[in-house]
Amino acid sequence: MNILVMERVSFSYNERPFIRSLDFCTGEAEIVALLGPNGSGKSTILKLAAGILRPETGRIMLWNKDIFSYRGKDRAKLISYLPQILDFGLPFTVKELVSMGLYPYDIAPGLTVDDALAMVGLGDRADTLIAELSGGERRRAFIAMTLLQGAGLLLLDEPMANLDIKYQLELIRLLKGLRAEKEISMVMALHDINMVHHFDRVCVVKNGSVVAFGRPLEVVTEELLREVYEVEIKIYPQENGTFLFGV
Amino acid sequence: MRKRVLFLVISSVVIFSGSVLIGPEVINPFSLGGTDRTIIISIRIPRVVTSMLMGAALGASGAVLQGFLRNPLADPYILGLSGGAALMATTGILLGSTVFGLFTIPLFAFIGSITTGLLVGFMAYRRGGLWPERLLLAGVGLGFLFSAVLMLLMSVSSDEGLRRAIHWIFGDLSMSDWSLIPYGVVIIILGLSLSLWRAKALNALILGDEIAHSLGFSPFKERFILFVSVCLMTAASVSLGGIVGFIGLLMPHIVRFVSGADSRVVIPLSALAGASMLALADTIGRTVVAPMELPSGIITAIIGAPYFLYLLRKQEILGR
Repeated sequence: MNILVMERVSFSYNERPFIRSLDFCTGEAEIVALLGPNGSGKSTILKLAAGILRPETGRIMLWNKDIFSYRGKDRAKLISYLPQILDFGLPFTVKELVSMGLYPYDIAPGLTVDDALAMVGLGDRADTLIAELSGGERRRAFIAMTLLQGAGLLLLDEPMANLDIKYQLELIRLLKGLRAEKEISMVMALHDINMVHHFDRVCVVKNGSVVAFGRPLEVVTEELLREVYEVEIKIYPQENGTFLFGV
Repeated sequence: MRKRVLFLVISSVVIFSGSVLIGPEVINPFSLGGTDRTIIISIRIPRVVTSMLMGAALGASGAVLQGFLRNPLADPYILGLSGGAALMATTGILLGSTVFGLFTIPLFAFIGSITTGLLVGFMAYRRGGLWPERLLLAGVGLGFLFSAVLMLLMSVSSDEGLRRAIHWIFGDLSMSDWSLIPYGVVIIILGLSLSLWRAKALNALILGDEIAHSLGFSPFKERFILFVSVCLMTAASVSLGGIVGFIGLLMPHIVRFVSGADSRVVIPLSALAGASMLALADTIGRTVVAPMELPSGIITAIIGAPYFLYLLRKQEILGR
């Protein structure tokens, strides 16, 4: 079953068409990458899917119901969105931040703040200020918040941006683990094409439209990369199913 | 943390009692004669209560404002609410208006403040809601305009009018009596309740509109409610006793040291700390050079400005 369906969705910024008649869907316990060059519309698609932006035409269905028909708190229990830049103006501790994931609930669900922190490997950092965390830890703290929120669909805008390769891999392992354990679906805007083999499906976007959508090995071809990124990229298939790209 | 909070509560009580008893003449609470009793009940208690109300309103508004503007240097007066109040109050003072008797100047100030709030809200409104940057810029812009007109008014006014206006602008509590307190209490409690009711939403807004939305809040709606609460509290505070700087800026930061950044704790504790700070400043103001009085706004600024500069240097306090 598809838990998120976007049908013929269009959106403009300041009357300039940006997303054009876009179709997109995500199934249960699936990790999807949104791939495309800067300004292709990845972030906007995620914000539309989160209900932050309202499409001009088309509709967005969340668990078979229009996303705008949900009350805010009810929507928050189903879908969670993390922007690319995790900013905060005031000195929250990790625990204070993570516990905000319980805000949509009147009665706290089973998972506790400590459980969520343990799941992302920050069990011993509860009283640390977020500002004192490294980029990767900070990302994990926000993910712990979304875990507490209990949403079945996680929308992440470039979660691996500004992370070293070690933390990128740590994060993708964590997310895959959560998918396996809690059957959470995830849609991520992705910059690094070397990471695509970690995803179940890849949606390639250019100029606000979907160019290709399918399994990474089938979708990501030299021809497609040339068309989308406008540079020559070579693909060297590896034995373990991964790619290497070179120019 | 609980100990530190308890310390804050106890010191407020001590400051309250001390402020009531200390003055040009120290009053012994165990031998209250007729005159002492009158001084305490009709002069000192209303004055201390007024200063505490003002301080509480400023502390709480500062905490709310720094949150929803996502700016640790925000102060309730940054929205121009004080400028509007000062302009209207000064106009009233210079005209010698007494249309509403004792209430004239506070009412003028309140109207000036609330009108400014409406103007700032109008300027900051775009595409369905209030935007933090627009609120800040609209407040600063209107503030400049009002202070220019205020200077103009003052430069053409008589010496006596000028002295009274300046006294009002720097926070003058010497005229406090019981008459305004009930109104102040009602408006400030209303503002405080609104902000406490939306304190979770405020926490979420501190993380940005998108995360607030993701947590189920409507950022525009929440910001509007919080803006109204700040306008009410600030306007009430300014009307009670003029402009007192730095409490709204400082107290929330000091409280966050003690209690962390959760608005559900920061708002009430900032109110408490603001109340104590202003009561203390006012007690200092009316005793150090007695029988002359220093406006409490000057005392809070003398204590507050150096601390503010220190904060500016120690950036990690600001969370980054």
